[in-house]
Amino acid sequence: MNDFFSKVVELFSTPEYIDSLLHGFLLTIQIAYFALLIGITLGTIIALVDVAKPSRWLVVPKFICRVYTTIIRGTPMALQLFIMFFIIFAIKGFPSIITAIIAFGLNSAAYTAEVVRGGILSVDAGQTEAGLALGLSRRTIFFKIVAPQAIKNIIPAMGNEIITVIKETAIVSMVGMYDLNMAAKDIGSGQNMASYIVPMFVAALFYLAIIYLITFAVKQVEKSLRKSDLRAEK
Amino acid sequence: MEDKNTELIIKNLHKSFGKNKVLNGINFKLTEGERVVILGPSGSGKSTFLRCINWMEEPTAGEMYFGGELVTEKNIRRIRRNIGMVFQHFNLISNMTVMENLMLAPMKLKLMKRNEAEKRVKDLLRHIGLLNKADAYPASLSGGQKQRVAIVRAMMLSPEVLLFDEPTSALDPESIGDVLSLIRELAERGMTIMIVTHEMSFAKEIATRIVFIDKGKIIEEGAPEEFFSHPKTERVKEFLKKVL
Repeated sequence: MNDFFSKVVELFSTPEYIDSLLHGFLLTIQIAYFALLIGITLGTIIALVDVAKPSRWLVVPKFICRVYTTIIRGTPMALQLFIMFFIIFAIKGFPSIITAIIAFGLNSAAYTAEVVRGGILSVDAGQTEAGLALGLSRRTIFFKIVAPQAIKNIIPAMGNEIITVIKETAIVSMVGMYDLNMAAKDIGSGQNMASYIVPMFVAALFYLAIIYLITFAVKQVEKSLRKSDLRAEK
Repeated sequence: MEDKNTELIIKNLHKSFGKNKVLNGINFKLTEGERVVILGPSGSGKSTFLRCINWMEEPTAGEMYFGGELVTEKNIRRIRRNIGMVFQHFNLISNMTVMENLMLAPMKLKLMKRNEAEKRVKDLLRHIGLLNKADAYPASLSGGQKQRVAIVRAMMLSPEVLLFDEPTSALDPESIGDVLSLIRELAERGMTIMIVTHEMSFAKEIATRIVFIDKGKIIEEGAPEEFFSHPKTERVKEFLKKVL
């Protein structure tokens, strides 16, 4: 136990270690942030194509979206990352952070698409019918009626997806990127502290802190969106 | 030829859901000021028939003329403004207050000025005794209150015809009276109405014509006194024996 605390003191009193952790943390956040931007945008587009009223213009796009989500969700993220790194973006000098962002973004899009699709489909069909019966356009019905109700159902699951992506970025250490997970491994290695336990725990605390923050933020958003529900009044 | 008071003509209307044929050739004419009650056993296609009129269900075959104009995919949106619809499950927009629900169509379709629409909403809400609920969300209203708001919403655009799809089937007995008296009031003011309902005494009281549908066809129609006391077909006799 004494040893543990002396290692804690050692880690926090060595500026290089702190620096490494922060650098790793920054990379983790950068990859997750931009990957989620791509994931949410692309995922929403896929979901909209999927739930759109069938027409002959959409036959091919709908098919592509379905194949896309099937492949992405049916293969391991780590494998997708390897394929991106060693096959598709195996160009010399291509920045690895961009490759990682694309890999995670494309992966997240498939999951986000399912979340958004589920959210839209969970809105009672009667709501759309009411809009149609009043002579409103499909566009107005979507933006004024369906989307605001769908978002309430999407936010909690979306929070889950954000958390998943942040944690899953830890596998970039497998392709040699220096993220938070890698930083902990590096600090704990033989030429540094020669003990993994403290840096691993500290890295865990970093992950925990950011995820706690996000969970809190998502809860706040959820609360403010539930104004029109009876549940919020109780 | 059609006289100018004809609101709606339906010729040989068919509707199938996949292989399931629900409507098998309905011919129907609706004249201004008529109050048609559609009766029939469950699964007979009476709700589908009503829902085909404003294309909540797109007809599989047949022709429909509303105000003399052939209804198509192109003009249905405009035509729907003249056909109000009240649903069994109210279908008030749950993310909007009562006020917003009522303002939605007049504002989005740019058919009224804001202050004009607001005034109309307030007058109508006051009339049904729900002015104090203007800023409430639908989730906080009772079933009867929701349905009365839904009726007012359908009236906002001053439609030529009002369709009621089992308007009291999802209500408790106490609220049914409130909703029926509001419909009765619209009837007295000369509104053209079509109702699918299971309230036989109300049907008898309000209808100018009863239409009986079975297996996707109109089997019998006529004035309510005639229909209830001297039914012509065996099917209707059998039906009335069970429900009266």
